[in-house]
Amino acid sequence: MGADKAEDVREAPADLSVAERIQERLSYTIEKDRVVTDDLPKRFLEVFAAVLKHSNYRQVLDNYARVTSRCANCAASCQIYQATEAPEDVPCYRSHLLLDIYRRHFTTKGILSGHLLGREPLTTDKILEMAESFYHCTACRRCTLECPLGLDHGLVTHLGRYLLSELGLVPRALVVSTRAQLEGETHNTSAIPLPAILDSLEFLAEEIKEDKGIDVEFPVDKEDRQYIFYAPVSDYLMEADTLMGIALMLRVAGQQDNWTIGSKYNDGINYGLFYSDWILERCLLEIKKEAERLRTKQILIGECGHASRTAKAFMATYGGGPDAPGMVNILELTYRLWKEGRFTLDPGIITDRVTYHDPCNLARSGWIVKQPRELIRSFCKDYVEMTPSGAHNLCCGGGGGTVSVDEIRPYRTGITGKKKAEQLAATGAKYVIAPCANCKKQLREVIEDHQVNIEVVGLHDLMYKAMIID
Amino acid sequence: MLEPLTHLARGPLLKLSLLVMVAGLFRAAVLQVWELGWAYGRAGDQVMSWPEIAKRTLAWLLPWRYWGSEGRPVYNIISFVFHIGIITIPLFLAGHVAIWEQELGIKWWTLSPRWADALTVLTVLAIVGLLIGRGVNTGSRALSKAQDWVIPVLCMLPLLSGFLVAHPRFSPIDPQVVYLVHLLSAELLLILVPFTKLVHIVLFWSNRTSSEFGWRFAPGAGERVRATLGKEGQGV
Repeated sequence: MGADKAEDVREAPADLSVAERIQERLSYTIEKDRVVTDDLPKRFLEVFAAVLKHSNYRQVLDNYARVTSRCANCAASCQIYQATEAPEDVPCYRSHLLLDIYRRHFTTKGILSGHLLGREPLTTDKILEMAESFYHCTACRRCTLECPLGLDHGLVTHLGRYLLSELGLVPRALVVSTRAQLEGETHNTSAIPLPAILDSLEFLAEEIKEDKGIDVEFPVDKEDRQYIFYAPVSDYLMEADTLMGIALMLRVAGQQDNWTIGSKYNDGINYGLFYSDWILERCLLEIKKEAERLRTKQILIGECGHASRTAKAFMATYGGGPDAPGMVNILELTYRLWKEGRFTLDPGIITDRVTYHDPCNLARSGWIVKQPRELIRSFCKDYVEMTPSGAHNLCCGGGGGTVSVDEIRPYRTGITGKKKAEQLAATGAKYVIAPCANCKKQLREVIEDHQVNIEVVGLHDLMYKAMIID
Repeated sequence: MLEPLTHLARGPLLKLSLLVMVAGLFRAAVLQVWELGWAYGRAGDQVMSWPEIAKRTLAWLLPWRYWGSEGRPVYNIISFVFHIGIITIPLFLAGHVAIWEQELGIKWWTLSPRWADALTVLTVLAIVGLLIGRGVNTGSRALSKAQDWVIPVLCMLPLLSGFLVAHPRFSPIDPQVVYLVHLLSAELLLILVPFTKLVHIVLFWSNRTSSEFGWRFAPGAGERVRATLGKEGQGV
């Protein structure tokens, strides 16, 4: 439907805006008043040239453009390709959309052969094909486990999205949230006013007191502490059990005076990882600024995969190299405190079958795989493993920020999340622990759309139930 | 006619093709190292886990990773066999080592004739397997470019013709023609190395490093990109 050829888009009739015609080609909603409509190919190449000039992408593009063997090993591990078996869903095919442009327009051989052999230059069609395709990929990076030449198609997806974002070809859902976070008054992606967050924390503390008979504080703006806590901000209103579990654990483990939440900035979400290096840097610098304001030593990220990975992998890049604040994910801290015997969990409380979903951003590199399992096995006696799992896990289907794009839910649950639904159903479990806010949202939609009888919880949700309080 | 052509192929053309290949590979390797160094210099995070990268690089070179992998295990094992053959035969065939000894006075260990024959046959079969594997898989079929079909066939020619040079009784064609085909097909392959994906000969060792460096971004690059694009001061 809509424009099928480049000429249609650029020569749209005056009464139908070019932006509308671009929108018709995409399954996600864009901000039509901000998308580039004039000579997209030229503008795309300008963006590409600027990014190549200032970034570090050139070396990896030079490498990838030369060595791809086009063996489709990546396809065998891509759950999207396995669901569709469409050639355009082969990860290497998708990467080639960008690599071919790079080769044609930014390498000597490509430019020469382009002129001598009359190769077609970049078209609007190709740009819109990329704009759609790069948001089919969740950047879960399962393909990196199989590529014999070590290509990281997740990195190419990341770059492709970054280039497109500078032309306004990016899901509106991601941009609007980021605008609220970086330029709005609330400084968070859900535009939750601070009083609402503080009220919520007060309410949760009262709940814990009523439930467990113990005083637990959610410390706000306390200075000179070890950890400054960043949850995905939606957790403050939507994942009460996870936050209560974290606060209770820290209290019982004697860490009450060791952590704080910052009132000026407390949202760990960083959509920059999903669509823009410019945003990636800005969000991390906000996290760092708040940590410095309260003179905290380390950044503690809650149950969130991408927030953890961005803080771990990029804080040093943008936050001052070796002087950047260190980070720890809540699962790492919880595991360490548990191993030190700072708290214990009652193995008689969670008797139903439990399974564990590895968030890609925690598990793909092998970073957090064994720790939560060891902890879970200690208090959930009927624990079953999904296959595959760990570093080879299946993506929930909503990775790479796609979970935040509501209008593509049928694709997310029907295609990218299809294998996950089968995996969950096969466990026969009552609970699936998914220590990531985005995974939780996606898995809940997957189980609803596939009618799988299982409940999605955070790790600290179950720990809250089983915590032994002296 | 055949003799001057053979003399040309065995002499100047062989030297030229080797020169093109070595110079091309050297250029690719130097560029790769230089670009990696340049990227490292601009990266905000310069702490690298070299043991981890080395481990990942090595893991991909060893065949046992193919067992139980989700990828294409049969295709990958065939590829492994092919690589053993295509590297070992040119380097350690007695006839080739004799050329090095004649031209440069250096020699090294050589394959026994029996092993050379067996490996040649195995490698040719592996190439056929790779071509079939590329053809029957929907994904690789859609992805493949011209060189993905041409290069394996081109690899077969020097192997088949080389076998017939060593065993002229099996050759239906004049042995001198077979020898010429062997020389020319090998030389064409050597010349193509730096200009095709065969350049992975010198880039395979650095591809994990390249991917890792790919994630080491330059601080401030986002703002500088937007300034270049005239978007300074513009909001999200």
